[in-house]
Amino acid sequence: MNPEPFLQLDRVIHEKGRLAIMSMLAASPELSFTELRDALGMTDGNLTTHIRALQEEGYLSVAKSYQNNRPLTTCSLTAPGRKAFAEYINLLEQIVRQNKPI
Amino acid sequence: METNWAEENLKTIRTLMERSAIYRRALAPIMIFAGLMGTAAAGVGFLSHSDSMRAFCALWLGTAATAVAGSFLIARQQAMKDKEAFWSPPTRRVAQALSAPLGVGLFVGVWFGAGHESPSLLAVFWILFYGCALHAAGFFTPRGVRWLGWVFIAGASVLVFLHQVGNDLQYNSHLLMGFFFGVLHLTYGAYLYLTEKRKNAA
Repeated sequence: MNPEPFLQLDRVIHEKGRLAIMSMLAASPELSFTELRDALGMTDGNLTTHIRALQEEGYLSVAKSYQNNRPLTTCSLTAPGRKAFAEYINLLEQIVRQNKPI
Repeated sequence: METNWAEENLKTIRTLMERSAIYRRALAPIMIFAGLMGTAAAGVGFLSHSDSMRAFCALWLGTAATAVAGSFLIARQQAMKDKEAFWSPPTRRVAQALSAPLGVGLFVGVWFGAGHESPSLLAVFWILFYGCALHAAGFFTPRGVRWLGWVFIAGASVLVFLHQVGNDLQYNSHLLMGFFFGVLHLTYGAYLYLTEKRKNAA
């Protein structure tokens, strides 16, 4: 088996929690912190840590605003984030293909 | 190295993306409910000969309001049963997509009701705007909703064309509404019941 695609997998995205965040955001223009937290069943602290890691990598942007006088934090994927996610999916598909019996 | 982890990961990603983007909650019961309301309203309108513009508008706007309220309750009930947030991102996007065409349809209804005698053309416009609303919402729902929208749009377009070429075109507006808002909803609802094996989670 060729280990090349596996070695190319983005380690930042490959983590379970961050992959879930990226997957949700890839299908939606933006999601609020609360929506992500509730959908993924994460704690505030856990989600904040993952968001910060993705933000530092430049994959995710965070916007802070107010809605009905309450602070609202929304997250969305950046262009490099979308590209990295698409590449990650391509590599997974490549791994699945090469492991399929001929 | 495990060989199926990549496949598992892809499945999880697909599920999460669908949960984030696609509205699925209670579509079949909502369609059946809307279809039953539409069929019942058509029956009432046809049998009571409510052919004046005022009676037509009152009957169908009342039916629409009841159908919207009922659909809201059905979706909310399922969300509560599944311990999920009702106002989820897909629900919000579907509501936003529906609001503009349905709002314009309501405005046209009021405008027509004030200035016209016959409800036949109003029925066609309502079918057209509702088709546009379904088509817009269809970007955030299973693909069938968009196709249902196209059926409404195509049907209304044919009726507008027939209006243009033959002024003597005669049909009962209640039966026309009953076919589109009753029979088509019921048909799609039945199709969803038979084909959707997965849980209708939003």
